[in-house]
Amino acid sequence: MHYLLSWPVRLLVVGLLILSIAVDGAGYIQRILNHQPLTGQVSGMPPQLLGNQVYIHRGLDLQGGTDLLLQITDVPPGRDMNQVQRDTIDVISKRINKLGVSEPVINPVGRDRIEVQLAGVSAAKAQATIGNTARLVTTKWVADANVKGGPFPGSRPQITPLTSEMLTGADASLDPQNGNQWVINVTYNSQGAAIFSQLSTEAFNATCPNGATDCPQHRITNWLNLTQDDIVHWDERAAQLTLPFDQGGKLLVDARIIQPITGGQSQITGNFTADSAKNLAILLNSGALPGNLQVIQSTEVGATLGADSIKRSLAAGVLGLLIVIVFMIFFYRLPGLVASVALLFYAGLTLAVFKMIPVTLTLAGLAGFILSVGMAVDANVLIFERFKEEVRSGVSVGAAVETAVGRAWPAIRDSNTATLITTGLLYLAGNGPVKGFAITLFLGVLVSMFSSIIVTHNLMALVVENHNAEHSFLMGVTLPLRRGRA
Amino acid sequence: MAELSRPGAARRPLSGEEVTGEPVATPSRRLDIVGRRNVFFAISLLIIVPGIISMLTRGFLLGIDFQGGTELFLKFSQPANQAQVEAVVASENVNGTVQKGANGTYIVRTRALDPAQQKKIVDDLDSKVAPIDRSQIQANQVGPSVAREIVTSALLAVLAAAILILLYLAFRFRRVRGGWRAGFQFGGSALLALLHDVFLLTGIFSILGKVLNLRIGEIDSLFLTAALTVVGFSVHDTIVVFDRIRENLVLSDRLGASRLTFEQVVNLSILQTAARSIITSFTVLLVLAALLLFGGQTLQGFVLALLIGILSGTYSSIFNASQLLVVWRKVQPVR
Repeated sequence: MHYLLSWPVRLLVVGLLILSIAVDGAGYIQRILNHQPLTGQVSGMPPQLLGNQVYIHRGLDLQGGTDLLLQITDVPPGRDMNQVQRDTIDVISKRINKLGVSEPVINPVGRDRIEVQLAGVSAAKAQATIGNTARLVTTKWVADANVKGGPFPGSRPQITPLTSEMLTGADASLDPQNGNQWVINVTYNSQGAAIFSQLSTEAFNATCPNGATDCPQHRITNWLNLTQDDIVHWDERAAQLTLPFDQGGKLLVDARIIQPITGGQSQITGNFTADSAKNLAILLNSGALPGNLQVIQSTEVGATLGADSIKRSLAAGVLGLLIVIVFMIFFYRLPGLVASVALLFYAGLTLAVFKMIPVTLTLAGLAGFILSVGMAVDANVLIFERFKEEVRSGVSVGAAVETAVGRAWPAIRDSNTATLITTGLLYLAGNGPVKGFAITLFLGVLVSMFSSIIVTHNLMALVVENHNAEHSFLMGVTLPLRRGRA
Repeated sequence: MAELSRPGAARRPLSGEEVTGEPVATPSRRLDIVGRRNVFFAISLLIIVPGIISMLTRGFLLGIDFQGGTELFLKFSQPANQAQVEAVVASENVNGTVQKGANGTYIVRTRALDPAQQKKIVDDLDSKVAPIDRSQIQANQVGPSVAREIVTSALLAVLAAAILILLYLAFRFRRVRGGWRAGFQFGGSALLALLHDVFLLTGIFSILGKVLNLRIGEIDSLFLTAALTVVGFSVHDTIVVFDRIRENLVLSDRLGASRLTFEQVVNLSILQTAARSIITSFTVLLVLAALLLFGGQTLQGFVLALLIGILSGTYSSIFNASQLLVVWRKVQPVR
C-alpha cells in the first residue's frame, strides 16, 4: 500500500480537489456575476464544461412537475412497434415544445411505452397536451337499415382511408367568407388529395334513395378520434358522439358536398372559439399519433412541495454531515479531524461527479447519497479501529497507519463491492425512485472507496510525518507512543 | 495477502490477545459470543417467527405503487372538515378513502385515475370544501399492470443480487482452508444473515401494516429501496467480520500445534470487529435521525424501515452470521 503515498497519487488528489472545487463553484460564480438564477438551466448562458451548463439536475419530486408513463394502444395491425414508438415520441416532442418547458424528458420504455417528464406542468395539463390523440377521422355515410337512432336513421358512418397522417398542414383563421367565424384550413398531401377528391366526387354524384334531393350519402363528415368501436356501437353512442367536440362529443364538421373538391384543401367549420381553433390546429399540425396513448402511471408534485423537499433534504444532509464530523472528532480526535477533511473532500467530489455526468437528483437519490456518506464513514472507522489496535500492540504511529490501511483494505473492498453489486442490479432492474437511489449510492460508494483509501491515508501519513504525532491524546489512543516509522 | 507476510504481522499474530506456547485457553471466556449462539438464534426467531406468521396469514398493506391506484396529497389553504372531504370523495364513485395528515393536509386514495379524473376530484374538493393550494399537490397514479411489473423486477433484482453476492464471497474466501467449499460456506452464511434481516424487516412491516393497521407499515417503492439498502448494509457488515475471520485463520495457522479452534477464531474476530460495527451503525443511525427530523411525512416509513433494518443488520452480523458459519462447519466439516 506504500505506493499510495507517492507524489503522483498526491498530485492526483490535489488535481481532483481543484477540479471538484471548480465544478462545484465555478458555475455559481459565473451565475452570480451575470445576475442569473443559481440553480437550474439558464437559457442563453454559455456552457461551462464540455459544452454543458453545470448545475445540479433536480428530479421532478424536488422541483415540481409531472412524470407520465404512457402506453401506446390501438396500433393498427402490421405496424412495426419500434417505428410506432419513434413516431409517437416525435409527435409528443413537437407538442411539448409548444409548452415551452425547460429540459423535457421523453424516453422510450420497453417496446410500447414512453416516459415523459415535464417540470412545472400539472398532470392534467401534461395529459391534455400529450395525450390528445387529435386524429382527424373522415367518414362517409352508408345505408344501413339496422340503424334506428343517430342524426340519420338508416345510415351509418364508415371510416374512409383518409387519415391524419396525410395532412400536411392545418392553420386556424377567421373564415374569409363571412369574417367572424373561426375555421381550420387543412391541406392534404397528394395521396390525401386524391382520396379526398374521389370521396367528394362520389358524395356529389350519390343518388339518394326514393329520388330525394338530400340524403346522408351526399355528406362527408369530419370527426376527432372517432373509432371503429364507436361505429359498431353507433345506436347507443350516436347522441353523445354527434355533440360538438368541445362539449364532449367527437363531431367536428358535417358537410354536404355541393361540388367535387380536387385541390387537397378542406375547411373545418366547427363552432370554434379563437382558442379552440388554434389548439386544434396545433394538435393536427404536430402530427397524428399512430395509436392511442393511455396514462398508466403518473406522478405529480406541486412546485412549492418540491422546493420544500429540497430544503428539508439539504438540511438533513448538512445536519447529518455535521453530526458525523462532530462524532468522529470527539471519538477519534486528530484522526477524526483528518477523516472529516476527507469526508468534505468526498462530499465535494461526489457532488461534482453528480453535476458532470449529470445525475438527476431525486428524493430517493438524496437518501442514497446520505447513506453513501455512512459507508464513507465506515471505511474510515475500519481504518482507525485497526490503527488503534496496531498502536496498542506497540507499533510506531507511522507504521500503524500503513498497517491499518493495508489490513482494512480487504474488508473495505469486499463490503463495498457487495454494495456495488446490489446497486448496479437495482439500477438495471429498478423503476423511477429505486433507480435514482441506486445511481447515487453506486457513485457515492465508488468515490468513498477512493476518498478513504487514498485521501484519508495520505492525510494521515502527512500528519504523522510532520507533527507531534506521538501525543496520545490527539491520537485517541491511551497507550504511550513512539515517534516515526518502525 | 502481502500485508500478512510482513515481519510485524508475524510478530503480533493476534492483536490484543495473549498467545502463549501453551494450548490456548478459550479467548475471552467472559464474552463467549459463539458459544451462546443458541440464545442469539432464539432471540432472532422470537422476532422473526411472528413476522412470518403475519406475512403468511395477513400479508402486507400495499402502497399504490404495488397495488395500483391513485394517491393524492392535498393541502387545503383553509381548515377543511374531514367529513366534508369524505363526502365529496364518496360522491365521485372512485372507491376513495380519506386520511387526515398534519397541517391541513389530506391523503385521498382511490382506484387508478388518469390525470383528468384526478383534476376533477381536486376541482370538486376545491369548490365544495375549501380552497386547495395547487402548488403543494402531490399525485401518484399507478396502473395495476405496472404495479405487478415493479414487484417482479424488484424481486428478480434481489434474487440476482443474492446470487452474485454469494458467488463474489465464495470467490473472495476460496483461499481459506477448505477452498471453494469453505468459500461457499462463508457466502452462504452471509446470505442467511441477509435473509434474517429481510424477513425481520418485512415481518415487522407486515405486523405494523396489517395487524396494527398503521399506514407507516405500507409496502411501497420507498420501502423496497430501504429493504435493498438493508441488504447492502447487512452484507457489508457481515463481510467485515468474515474478513477478520479470514485474516485470523491465517495467523492462527502459523501457530502450528497451538492454533485456535475455528470457534475460537470466530469469537475473537467478532470481538475485534464489534466496536467498528457498533460505531458505524451508530453514525448511520445519527444520519437517519437527521433524515427523520427533516425528511417530512412521506419519508417516515422509509426511515423507520432503514432504522429497523440497520439495527437488525448490526445484530445479525455480530450475533448470527458467524455463528451460522460455525454451525455450518460442524455439519459439513472442511478438511
